[in-house]
Amino acid sequence: MIKKLIFLLIISTGLFFLSRNTGLNFQQSLSISVFSASILGTLFFWNFRLTFAFLGTSVLLITQTIDIDNVIKFSSLEVILFLVGMMVLVGLLKDTGFFAWIVSLILRVKNLTANRFLVIISLISALLACAIDEVTSIIFIVAAIFEICDYFEIDATPFLIISVLATNIGSSGTALGNPIGILIAAKSGLTFEDFIFKAFPVMLICLLVAIAVLRFWYKKTLKEMDRKIKEFGYNEMLVSLISVPPEKELRISLVIFGLTLFFIALHHRLEVLLNLKHNTVLLTLPLISSGLVMAWKWKKAREFIEKDVEWWTLLFFLLLFSQAGTLKYTGATDIFAHKLLLAVKHSQPVLIGVILWISAIGSSILDNVVLVAAFIPIIQSFKELGFNLQPLWWALLFGGCLGGNITMVGSTANIVALGVLEKEKNIHMTFFRWFWVGLSVGLVTTVIAWLALLFLPIYN
Amino acid sequence: MKVKEIMTREVTSLSPELTVQEALGLLAKMEISGLPVIDLNGKLVGMFTEKEALEYILPSYISKVGRFIYEENPKSIKNKFSEMNKMKVSELMRKDVITTLEETTLCEVARIMLTQRSRRLPVLDKTGSVVGIVARSDILAALASEAETAK
Repeated sequence: MIKKLIFLLIISTGLFFLSRNTGLNFQQSLSISVFSASILGTLFFWNFRLTFAFLGTSVLLITQTIDIDNVIKFSSLEVILFLVGMMVLVGLLKDTGFFAWIVSLILRVKNLTANRFLVIISLISALLACAIDEVTSIIFIVAAIFEICDYFEIDATPFLIISVLATNIGSSGTALGNPIGILIAAKSGLTFEDFIFKAFPVMLICLLVAIAVLRFWYKKTLKEMDRKIKEFGYNEMLVSLISVPPEKELRISLVIFGLTLFFIALHHRLEVLLNLKHNTVLLTLPLISSGLVMAWKWKKAREFIEKDVEWWTLLFFLLLFSQAGTLKYTGATDIFAHKLLLAVKHSQPVLIGVILWISAIGSSILDNVVLVAAFIPIIQSFKELGFNLQPLWWALLFGGCLGGNITMVGSTANIVALGVLEKEKNIHMTFFRWFWVGLSVGLVTTVIAWLALLFLPIYN
Repeated sequence: MKVKEIMTREVTSLSPELTVQEALGLLAKMEISGLPVIDLNGKLVGMFTEKEALEYILPSYISKVGRFIYEENPKSIKNKFSEMNKMKVSELMRKDVITTLEETTLCEVARIMLTQRSRRLPVLDKTGSVVGIVARSDILAALASEAETAK
């Protein structure tokens, strides 16, 4: 631990002096140094990440690298409030048994075969990761996988890996699947419809190709499962394993959630119709829905806010965004953007590739929110240099989501699912057991996104 | 009144090397829900209760999946139960144990029990050895008798 701390201090201090030597002023160098300390802090000391965020932002304020008004401006409170609203809605869905209902639907699949199981868990993982956050969706998919695998007495690990890979792919399909989606939507001005028309189809193609790769990769496991299904016969016990009471509440919560998604999908049209500022409806809708939920379930309102909203993570995001904003405020990102452009010789296709692959490889090691928060001010700087930003935003989204599949620590969904695997089955995932299949799927899907961004005219 | 005046001095404890099956058998025999785990040197190393056993058997994600009813017993329960029975108490016990000292007042112990949601607390002497155990019922009985005397 001490070694890691010394390494962190050497790197962040080294970056400060390196930046000073390359002509950056004191404030620019300090903002780079503090931000790098926060990134390394999350990498080495996950449980202390808020400590780094609090101390780092305080250093920036005390040294007058940024002022309080701008810390608030860059903290992206609109994104934080959006996530709070969505977390309350997810809390309601959990409370009314929506997730258990999905689990029971998976358990009731008729004429189960191994291939059908693989396709169903991949599709449900991906589609649910589009509608609710990936960390929530992965938990109950894993629950369903464990019940089915226990019943047929097969190893659940390959199916858990499959569902996590599909979840990460699915989280790139809309602005709701991953915090980076809504962050990019809020900063880029891209609408939910843009995500549906430009991100969702690429996500679907990536998913189908990934399913094909996984079918090949886990050929033996699927064969073994088919043999066990024949041996055990119809999954009668699984069909009636769980039920969800009372159904009326579940129906009401489904209507609320469905309407929220419906209006989110139409947010841009509503904003035009009501003459509202861009993304006002998108960012306000979860607040309206969660406000109504708290009126309906007023006895549980405090519980929704205190237990279902991940304040620890959100506070970290808030301070991280303001630290990344400081890079923009001091002008450090403008300089970095300029240097990056020189390196790629002002070529937009090369720049798309660089952003896509840096964010994919980066988010295989780091929290993708950290990476995207750092990239956003850089991409915004390209606007002043006359670049079309749209393909760059998509490159950031796809890289940030698809890269999470490469390693076992690449995304929060991976870490959560493997934590459950360890606790429930006492199976410790090894780096390489994940890496080869994760790398194959990560590479293939990132290449698909790359080709789409380079050759499909809709992205320009 | 202090804890040392009301605590049970003869503490039945579990050895960390005992199997979970043996430990659960002892709990059932004594008709109590938990016992402290004390090593060969007389030091308290954990607390083993029925709650730890139930937590092990049921899936860890049940609270995260949300509201539902088990209409059948999942197949995994049987396997997990036989797996658990073979485990040692030290593998399943709660290691972070809330304790109290002999000189602590009854109200302070009651406060600890309420705020930490604890049913019984091992009582330690200055050297850290277990010298007794105090349960919620002991506190209530002592407070009731104090109230009677005051009348």
